Amino acid sequence: MLLNMSEGMHLSNTETVPGKLITASFGLVQGSTVRAKNIFKDFGAGLKNMVGGELKAYTELLQEARNEALQRMMMDAQSRGANAIVNIRFATSAVAGGAAELFAYGTAVTVE
Amino acid sequence: MAGESALFCQLFFLGIPILIYIGSLVFGELHQNKLLLKLDTEEKALEGRTNPVTNLSKPSQARQIASSSLVMESISVGPSWWQMLMGGIKNFFGGKIHSYDKMLTYGRRVVIHRLRMQAIQSGFDEVINLRVETAMISKKSKGDDKTAAFEFTAYGTAIRYSASQD
Repeated sequence: MLLNMSEGMHLSNTETVPGKLITASFGLVQGSTVRAKNIFKDFGAGLKNMVGGELKAYTELLQEARNEALQRMMMDAQSRGANAIVNIRFATSAVAGGAAELFAYGTAVTVE
Repeated sequence: MAGESALFCQLFFLGIPILIYIGSLVFGELHQNKLLLKLDTEEKALEGRTNPVTNLSKPSQARQIASSSLVMESISVGPSWWQMLMGGIKNFFGGKIHSYDKMLTYGRRVVIHRLRMQAIQSGFDEVINLRVETAMISKKSKGDDKTAAFEFTAYGTAIRYSASQD
């Protein structure tokens, strides 16, 4: 998932964008989304759980959700006029039975 | 005759869960060994390639950087029903729970491997500041059985050095 190329925004989970100079900081930006499991996918995953291993339905669901959280964070940064987000962190928590919250946060900055 | 059919009924309803768990043990073991073997061969194929994945916060080489990007991969894995049953029994007595080890170790290994593959395929030289996170996805809000699936996320900053030496 190489998101920054298409959006023209530099993303990094290090404290700076490697090879670039930070000129301005816009503070914390964040994006989050809550996703619940589809009952059919859940049934399939439950059966798959019998033998263990990768549960592809959940993998896809959570990747989709994480991308959406990232997109929301990037929109937040764009609305502040930043062109990069540094020190990005992800967090996942199960808010209720069968639902998960995906959360992304970072510091919006301008580079060069 | 009535007693016989009642006994048959009891055996039938007791036998089905036992059969399911034995099936879970046998097919789970086969399936998981297949997955581990596949990962082993994939990791072997990358041996000798220079694509370090580290959790250092700075690039390892003092060369000019052409581009960088956030990369991430995630996977959900679950232990088999048999492993969950064994884990549940072991949980009562305490101590090491070996039955969960296999899938947890597999999940973490495979997610780092996939991140490395993604970086190689996109033409990056290295991945720095790797973070691996674990989340538990609960099966239901109530009850003891909350460990239906674990989610592993690996993310880092991929770096491509510029070709010219300076």
